Amino acid sequence: MVFQVACRSVAKRSFQSTARRSLTIPFLSTLPQAPGGVKGNVNDAYVPPPPHKTHGSLHWDFERAVAVCMPPLVGSALASGGDLGTVADSLLCSALFAHLYIGFQSCIIDYIPKRVYGKNYNYAMYLLTLGSIVGAVGVYKLETEEEGLTGVVQKLWTSEQKGDNK
Amino acid sequence: MFTSGLKRSVVGITGIISRRGLASEAATEVPKLKTFKIYRWNPDHPAEKPKLQEYQVDLNKCGPMVLDALLKIKNEQDATLTFRRSCREGICGSCAMNIGGRNTLACLCRIDTDESKQTKIYPLPHMYIVKDLVPDLTHFYQQYKSIQPYLQRSKVPEDGKENLQSIEDREKLNGLYECILCACCSTACPSYWWNQEEYLGPAVLMQAYRWLIDSRDEASAARKQMLQNSMSLYRCHTIMNCTRTCPKGLNPGYAIAEIKKALIPA
Amino acid sequence: MIKRPSGLQRQILHLYRQFIRLAYQKPQENRAHFEKHFRYEFQRYKDLPRKDFSTIEHLLRVGRRRLELFSSPEVKDIH
Repeated sequence: MVFQVACRSVAKRSFQSTARRSLTIPFLSTLPQAPGGVKGNVNDAYVPPPPHKTHGSLHWDFERAVAVCMPPLVGSALASGGDLGTVADSLLCSALFAHLYIGFQSCIIDYIPKRVYGKNYNYAMYLLTLGSIVGAVGVYKLETEEEGLTGVVQKLWTSEQKGDNK
Repeated sequence: MFTSGLKRSVVGITGIISRRGLASEAATEVPKLKTFKIYRWNPDHPAEKPKLQEYQVDLNKCGPMVLDALLKIKNEQDATLTFRRSCREGICGSCAMNIGGRNTLACLCRIDTDESKQTKIYPLPHMYIVKDLVPDLTHFYQQYKSIQPYLQRSKVPEDGKENLQSIEDREKLNGLYECILCACCSTACPSYWWNQEEYLGPAVLMQAYRWLIDSRDEASAARKQMLQNSMSLYRCHTIMNCTRTCPKGLNPGYAIAEIKKALIPA
Repeated sequence: MIKRPSGLQRQILHLYRQFIRLAYQKPQENRAHFEKHFRYEFQRYKDLPRKDFSTIEHLLRVGRRRLELFSSPEVKDIH
């Protein structure tokens, strides 16, 4: 009787575990996890990942430095109405670029962690790097052949007027 | 009229004598029935899905806190209801649970006296459940153990008695040492939900900071070294759920930010 | 042809194997008791639906905890 009730309610979402299965991304393969996230004996201490400064404090310092750079760069671009020099414009571009790269990297570490997804984590990072290289080439072209990022944004605003003029 | 009043008072007096307290007075009032919906799951029948069970408690005959209601339910209605409790005054951290969508201690959370609203009680979110409202905190304690929460010194004090500390140095520990490790903040943190196997979580990081700034401790280099990776500390994205939910009014988010600052030159 | 067992099924089989191996490390006269108990514990849930992942995972966790408990040399017999 109890079992029949159980069978009927299988479809319902269950709460008795963290229901990790429902939290994982469905089409990516996952690695088997330690029961209850507990490794070793109940009395063993948790073992942190090996220390690595470039992933630790230096990474965070860089992230903060870039984030602090953003407001003055964007602010000056807005204040000058888009007439930034090539140097300042490429600075803005690369800062924005680093900011986005770190942001996406953080997302991947959070949601596609190596602990759960194994090689899929590496693939996500490769994808991010590939996209970044394509983006970097694009920025280079933008700076050398066009009027830079600010120029492009300016065009977005003015293109409509041009259309009207025709 | 007068006699009936007199009679009632006599009944009241005998009531007080026989039952002690205000129970007789409450009996004349209309019962204030409040509905509690409590998460139930029994590991003896693992194939049965967890469910919310309803209980009605008369608030006139119940203490002001949610823990009082839980104890009343366990005593009078359903003895199988399982939860942790110990001190009933917010100093042990046993009765941490999710009440009305907020992680808090049942003994410090007042019952919402609005009878039209139901109060839902869940165990701490994103933890493995042992039974009903009891989460498995093994991993949380393992993490706490890993930060080595004790004084580390190379030599014993000269007088052989105490490691002395100035008043200013002691004051730095205020707002940190009061933490009772109820795990309310850690289980309120989305980063801890996704990566609790590797991210230490606000409660443990606040204790890491407490030992990091202790003037008597000599192992701060090793303590900082332990956090130098992308997972242990830097999964904190200053969401600040920890500070919002802390039932003791502490500020783990600030402590984590201070650790990050302390790690800059290291 | 028999279908290749899924990850979860393989984990269960592995756990069962570990339990049976454990039984062989216990005193000879009590081995049968251990084996009987382990078999009973596994058979209790053999009718569990295959798709009930969360329950199976819960039982796996419980099973591993029990394995840890029983594997201490102080445990010599079971009834």
